[in-house]
Amino acid sequence: PQVIPGARSGPSSILVSPRQKGNPILNNVRSLPWEYSDIPADYVLGGTTCALFLSLKYHRLHPEYVYSRIRQLGHKYNLRILLTMVDITNHEESLKELSKTSLVNDLTLILCWSAAEAGRYLELFKSCEHTAPTSIRAAQATSYADKVVEFVTVPRSINKTDALGLVSSFGSVRAGVNARPEELSLMAGWGEAKVQRWTSAVRENFRVKR
Amino acid sequence: MQAENDGLPPVKLSLPLRYQQDLFHELRQEDELVILARGLGLLRVVTNLLHSYDAAGENLVLVIGADDRELEWIGEALAEHAAISNSPMARGFRLINTDLVNVGQREKMYTEGGIYGITSRILVVDLLSSLLDPSTVTGIIVLHAERVIATSLEAFILRIYRQHNKNGFLKAFSDSPEPFTTGFAPLASMMRNLFLRKPSLWPRFHVTVAEALEGRKKAEVIEFEVPMTDAMRDIQNAVLECVEVSISELKKSNTGLEMDDWNVDSALHKNFDAIIRRQLDPVWHRVSWKSKQIVNDLGVLRTILHCLLTYDAVAFNRYLDTILAASSPPPGSTRQNQSPWLFLDAAHTLFDTAKRRVYTAKVNAAEVANNANSTSLDSLSPVLEEQPKWALLAEILEEIERDAYFNPPPRDDSNGTILIMCGDEGTCRQLREYLQTMHVRPEDVEKQESDDDEERGPSAAFMMRRALRNYLNWKRDFAKVSASLFAENQKALEGATDRQGGTPSLRPKAPPNKRRRVRGGSSAASGPGRAANGSIQLAQDTEAHVAGLLAEIQPTGAEKLQKEEIAADPLIDIDDWFEMYEMNDLLIVHPYDGDMDEHVLEEVKPRYVIMYEPDSAFIRRIEVYRSSHTDRNVRVYFMYYGGSVEEQRYLSAVRREKDSFTKLIKERAGMSVTLTLDAHGIDDPQEHFLRTVNTRIAGGGRLAATAQPPRVVVDTREFRSSLPSLLHGRSIVVVPCQLTVGDYILSPNICVERKSIRDLISSFNNGRLYNQAETMLQHYKNPMLLIEFDQNKSFTLEPFADLLHNPSAISNPSDLQSKLVLLTLAFPRLKVIWSSSPYQTAEIFENQEEPDPIKAVQIGLDLESGQDPSDQTFNQTPQDMLRAIPGITEKNLNRLILDVANVHELANMEEEDISRLIGKEAGRQVWRFFNRSLFD
Repeated sequence: PQVIPGARSGPSSILVSPRQKGNPILNNVRSLPWEYSDIPADYVLGGTTCALFLSLKYHRLHPEYVYSRIRQLGHKYNLRILLTMVDITNHEESLKELSKTSLVNDLTLILCWSAAEAGRYLELFKSCEHTAPTSIRAAQATSYADKVVEFVTVPRSINKTDALGLVSSFGSVRAGVNARPEELSLMAGWGEAKVQRWTSAVRENFRVKR
Repeated sequence: MQAENDGLPPVKLSLPLRYQQDLFHELRQEDELVILARGLGLLRVVTNLLHSYDAAGENLVLVIGADDRELEWIGEALAEHAAISNSPMARGFRLINTDLVNVGQREKMYTEGGIYGITSRILVVDLLSSLLDPSTVTGIIVLHAERVIATSLEAFILRIYRQHNKNGFLKAFSDSPEPFTTGFAPLASMMRNLFLRKPSLWPRFHVTVAEALEGRKKAEVIEFEVPMTDAMRDIQNAVLECVEVSISELKKSNTGLEMDDWNVDSALHKNFDAIIRRQLDPVWHRVSWKSKQIVNDLGVLRTILHCLLTYDAVAFNRYLDTILAASSPPPGSTRQNQSPWLFLDAAHTLFDTAKRRVYTAKVNAAEVANNANSTSLDSLSPVLEEQPKWALLAEILEEIERDAYFNPPPRDDSNGTILIMCGDEGTCRQLREYLQTMHVRPEDVEKQESDDDEERGPSAAFMMRRALRNYLNWKRDFAKVSASLFAENQKALEGATDRQGGTPSLRPKAPPNKRRRVRGGSSAASGPGRAANGSIQLAQDTEAHVAGLLAEIQPTGAEKLQKEEIAADPLIDIDDWFEMYEMNDLLIVHPYDGDMDEHVLEEVKPRYVIMYEPDSAFIRRIEVYRSSHTDRNVRVYFMYYGGSVEEQRYLSAVRREKDSFTKLIKERAGMSVTLTLDAHGIDDPQEHFLRTVNTRIAGGGRLAATAQPPRVVVDTREFRSSLPSLLHGRSIVVVPCQLTVGDYILSPNICVERKSIRDLISSFNNGRLYNQAETMLQHYKNPMLLIEFDQNKSFTLEPFADLLHNPSAISNPSDLQSKLVLLTLAFPRLKVIWSSSPYQTAEIFENQEEPDPIKAVQIGLDLESGQDPSDQTFNQTPQDMLRAIPGITEKNLNRLILDVANVHELANMEEEDISRLIGKEAGRQVWRFFNRSLFD
């Protein structure tokens, strides 16, 4: 293995508590460096983010374990993840309990179903530490064609082919919106149901006063 | 309920047939679930029943589960009945649906009583908010009982109703037996959902039914099997091959599912893709992207099969063009994301043959496509294949005419009208056009053609030539549209065909085509060619050829005399053209329209009926009609394409209905559950509900017996989901309110936004969730995001296995997990609840502090707008459409919604007006979105 200078510098790596030694999810943290460190949480994933790891199988055998860990954690960190691995089939009871616990103790419950997924979550939390949430804030900019298709296909049962048929028959979105039902039903693939859905969608008021 | 003194109903009924009367009396006496075979007049029984209550007066009867047209019919029929039996108490049928009636009016209507058709969502809210006291309801009638599943709103309504009202009647109706036969003990569980004990089955082979329909003179039926043309058969085979390959592809990629039914045979069923969807649903979010596409494709392929038989050759080809354009890859993509069937030879045959039904190259077909600059080619010439049924139809009409002339029919009550029934409005239009123009002859048609038919029999030449002209014009426009929509793509397409070898293809080098090469030679090359990535692409006919073709089919003198194509059904302007037609020599073309067909038969009183497409329900309607009127003679001509999908579909539909009834009868015979379902089960619906509906949470122990049952405030829009019903089932008081922030309020501090997986994905994509989280955090201490998995779907998120092999995806993640991570990072206080099913959610929601509904309603409202919050509801669909428009953000969306009525109005606004509302830049974007012309 080659030593890359600077790669092990503190904040850019995931801090792992020694008690996680041997946890298979560590094998799945590949794209980011990690190192052992003496921390109250199981993982530290950034300046204000930490995570506790819990396997439901273990939780069923030692239900008190997670509470003692939460107590040790105290009120440190801003975002506290309870990374829970669902590795049993009768998970309903445990999850119900954990949901309540997480509310009381200010934890955010994240479920994963495999070691690989758990590892990926760790990587994601670390790598997205400074990412702005733009990708979930608004619709992604796309081309005009995609936008048109997206717009036309909002009413149920109208598909991409129909969208294309609409704009190609009428020439513009505006003309498509203004089209009369009889004109619409002349298009191939536009049955009565579709025509009805489309015309009612464009003429339905946004806000209904009752 | 004075009308209860049966035997001598004080009203006049219109039930001529024995089985209908039996059914009516049975229904008057007890509550039951009626399953009647299609076409036997279900609505007629319902309206008569309703009328008997209406005439009695002093009743409050609610009709739920009906769709709009049924409601319309019930209304008309009740008015008619009231007029006939002249009953002073009858008040007719009134509707309660969303926008028309407000709370105050509804309250008044409920106290007045009468017969109401009501939307389930409104009824449930009114029952829960005690606007309507269930004990005042005389009875409920449920239509479309097959749609009532355990978690549906109708079941919820019936539960509340039965909880507070044990004496009112409850009758459920259905005319499709098929849904009652899937699953374990389906009839018994359906009965439980409906809170009914007695099923009453009326298949066509029921003794009384059979006697009523076959006892007297039967309708005269003449059957025609029409052969398909070779081209049609080729196309059908090609599509079937595509279907087969698609299915086997699906099977390959989704092992471990029950796939015995996945074969071409069942693929012809109407709802095959729905069946596959249902089977895949438990793993849908883990199904590979390719499988999803194939499921989609199956739907498309089925439509193609349908269109092949109903559309004329030109329209069919045009439809195929649209499909091809819609599924062509986005410009510059190297990803093989085209539908797999497009790569098949069969697809090639399909497009090729469809095109050759319309026009073909005259001389050397191979060279047309291969070498556009070749001088040896002549031009394109029209083929214009006609649908074989057209000629037959003309023949039948002629025969009828001759028959009526030589053997004048005995005088009876029916008119001399000929009724032609076909599948849909489109076919109707086609037939009308054909019948109007079949004797018009373009004078200078191709020589050999006019030589063939000296008799000048009916022909569709005129219509087809007109269609082809329209098609060519359309195609020119279409090329422009796709050019402006998929500019780059189009360039590549032209580069691949027209200027072959001249300019290098713009397409990135695709992986070598593994498939064997298309058979060389004329037939293969004349039609669509192959794009570089091996998928199908239409060869572009050069401008000159198209112009030549257009010139050839220019309207001739005779053609010009004809009036222009009729775009719309002229009956729409009936007021302008009002005139009574002589019923005796009328030819009526009408689409199949479910129960409405009965009206058509009754009104038209036809002597001849031509069924252009087979429909088992309509045959029964004719039987019913024939037996109801002894003095009317009907002759039925019945035609179908031999060996076609149409024939098979018809036969299997008949078989499936019969099988379903047989199954139901068997299950009823062995059904002990419903008979032992005593009042106790209804007395304690919570317990009952838990035990019967979902055994997964059976051992949960008794609910805590508190004096005050827990309370949850639920947004009225959430009543579309099953959760409110389940919460109610767990003895939680559900308070319906119009909420602006959150979906469920559990306590003054806890607010929950519920997202199903599908919602979650879409609201991550359009940014809705981010805004919702933002506002929840503003108003509540403990906002929660509830991620709810479906009951029957697996409890995991999408796998990201593909990402692991693709290092670039790590740096630029776009999967669900990474979005969730971003969300939690952005809102550390937002808690996440994971629930494997709505049932579990209902459990999680128990035992919280009580919320204050009034406060919850006010939170997040824009009080400046000065509107009473209870008066507002929002329509989701048009709002989602707005969100898709570029330039619209969550902020200016609200502004638009306040000031603009609907999408239609927005589309027609001037740029300045939009800009005044939402700012210059956004306004310009919105205006441009609507007004950009694609023809330039």
